[in-house]
Amino acid sequence: MSVIAFILLGSVVLLPAAGLLALRWATSTGQFRCPDKAALLPFDEVEPVGLETDRILGGNRR
Amino acid sequence: MINQSQTLRALLPGDALTGGGIDGGNKAALAEIDASCRVPVLFFFLSGLAWLLAGTVLALVASIKLHTPGFLAGWEWLTFSNVRTAHLNTVIYGFASQISVGVTIWLMCRLCRIPLVAPGLITVANLFYNLGVTVGVGGILLGDSTAIEWLEMPRYATPILFISYALIAVWTLVTFRLRAERHLYVSQWYLLAAVLWFPWLYGTAQVMLLIEPVRGVVQAAVNWWFAHNVLGLWFTPIGLASIYYFIPKVIGRPIHSYYLSVLGFWSLALFYNWNGMHHLVGGPLPAWMITVSIVASVMMLIPVITVAINHHFTMVGHFGKLKYSPTLRFMVFGAVSYTLASLQGVASAVRSVSEVTHFTHHTIAHAHLGMYAFFTMVMFGAMYYILPRITQREWPSTGLISLHFWGVALGIVLYVVPMSIMGFIQGTMLNDAAVRFLDVVQFTLPWLKLRTLAGLLLAAGHVAFVLNVGWLLVRMFEPYRKPVVRILTGEAETVAAGK
Ligand code: HEM
Ligand code: HEM
Repeated sequence: MSVIAFILLGSVVLLPAAGLLALRWATSTGQFRCPDKAALLPFDEVEPVGLETDRILGGNRR
Repeated sequence: MINQSQTLRALLPGDALTGGGIDGGNKAALAEIDASCRVPVLFFFLSGLAWLLAGTVLALVASIKLHTPGFLAGWEWLTFSNVRTAHLNTVIYGFASQISVGVTIWLMCRLCRIPLVAPGLITVANLFYNLGVTVGVGGILLGDSTAIEWLEMPRYATPILFISYALIAVWTLVTFRLRAERHLYVSQWYLLAAVLWFPWLYGTAQVMLLIEPVRGVVQAAVNWWFAHNVLGLWFTPIGLASIYYFIPKVIGRPIHSYYLSVLGFWSLALFYNWNGMHHLVGGPLPAWMITVSIVASVMMLIPVITVAINHHFTMVGHFGKLKYSPTLRFMVFGAVSYTLASLQGVASAVRSVSEVTHFTHHTIAHAHLGMYAFFTMVMFGAMYYILPRITQREWPSTGLISLHFWGVALGIVLYVVPMSIMGFIQGTMLNDAAVRFLDVVQFTLPWLKLRTLAGLLLAAGHVAFVLNVGWLLVRMFEPYRKPVVRILTGEAETVAAGK
């Protein structure tokens, strides 16, 4: 029983706390400040916006 | 603190060190990152695909047994209950989870903009993982199943798996800590959450159900809290993280609304974990527990609709590209199926619907709409993108790609649509006291045969994919073939290398 009580109480306190800390960290480090910039993160100079990267089928390989 | 991150940074290979971690400006080139991921990601993909083939055979045996019970009836280790359970465990833990880890590794490195760190750690995790699944599935076939759904692997197998999950979580945190890109893309939110949630879910369920079991209906509650969250907090976030990365990458257009994507993540984190008790509607649980889960299921419409709107509007004007990109085909199929599976799930959670559909093939159809049409299709799409980049070779056969896509796309539609309809009719018949039980069983037979046909189509698709992957690997080891520069750099001209 003691192990279970430990897990349950630990989870109930720790998980929401971890979620809140993550949210606080995100706002304090400006993760949500510039959504347009964040949306560009998968792209870079080598594979910029506008470049298709998976043209394989249809005899039109690129 | 400085010492700690310096110690971690020592894990970065050679010249990646100079820029020095977060915002150090030393972001690794995509081609360098892809090459660094080759061995560990291939380990996860190849072993995952081997389990997919095993799971497909087990699935076909289970499916045939439901309409032709005499099939393989002389082999006691292949009873329906053994085979079905072995199918679930091979495809969930052997296949889907391992491909998820491979995709997570690659996405984390790419989005953190660093080459893969600690390859030894991740390789050990892979070895432990496959050992755990082999011991677990072997134990199930030998009759050692725990009889707890989604946790059927015997007690002697699960600690091995737990070690592996823990190592993967540690690796992800180290990679995150060392990232060269300070900002997080929405996919990283999903991935980080998933790799931390899963060991916690798995560990808690193991302790409460196998090591120090709770009593009575609490067992069922913990069981479905776990099983539901495997779907909602492990597979779903990894599937969505992939869609959020690959659709924009393939079409070359950023996601429609980044705000919506973040809202989708936080609302999923808030509502999904309350959903588990909707699997026990009508069960002997306090009514309020089930009601809370039903309410949370309906609340899931918020993340589901945000994701659907975002994906749809990102794709608007780009649907023509489905013709050329296998990744996009699988991803869009998966994204649409995510919406459909979720809407079907929300309906099945409502008491009046569950009264009809629970204990019928409708639930099996929903399970495959979610785990196959959504999740597996997204993972196939991701592998189509990742494999040529980490092996630096092009897909050898476009014919096999088409066979794969059409085999599994038609197969899963033929599986899910008839079984959903049949399950509903089966439920109304079961609820009618005037209908004999045997008549209900008879009614299901033709539909179950149709499912076996669908399974054969799916199996053909799987074989086509595995052949293409095998061929790709053969090319990788042929020294005279030049690497394909074009797919790594995005250059537009056609390169004859590898032909
Ligand atoms: C908002 C979204 C969703 C809701 C509300 C939902 C709801 C449900 C409900 C109520 C059941 C139990 C049906 C019964 O036993 O009568 C169920 C089963 C299931 N769902 Fe979903 N679902 C959702 C999305 C998904 C997704 C995205 C996946 C796959 C990744 C999925 C996979 C499954 C599976 C595999 C089962 C069968 C579990 C078993 O009996 O072994 N669901 N879902
Ligand atoms: C060749 C393709 C497949 C066929 C023919 C097939 C067939 C089956 C059959 C016959 C069952 C047992 C249904 C029952 O108990 O009445 C089942 C269960 C299940 N399968 Fe598959 N399957 C296939 C592929 C997959 C894949 C790739 C996944 C996941 C990635 C998957 C996930 C599941 C799950 C989660 C269940 C348990 C459903 C539940 O308890 O509600 N299947 N499948």
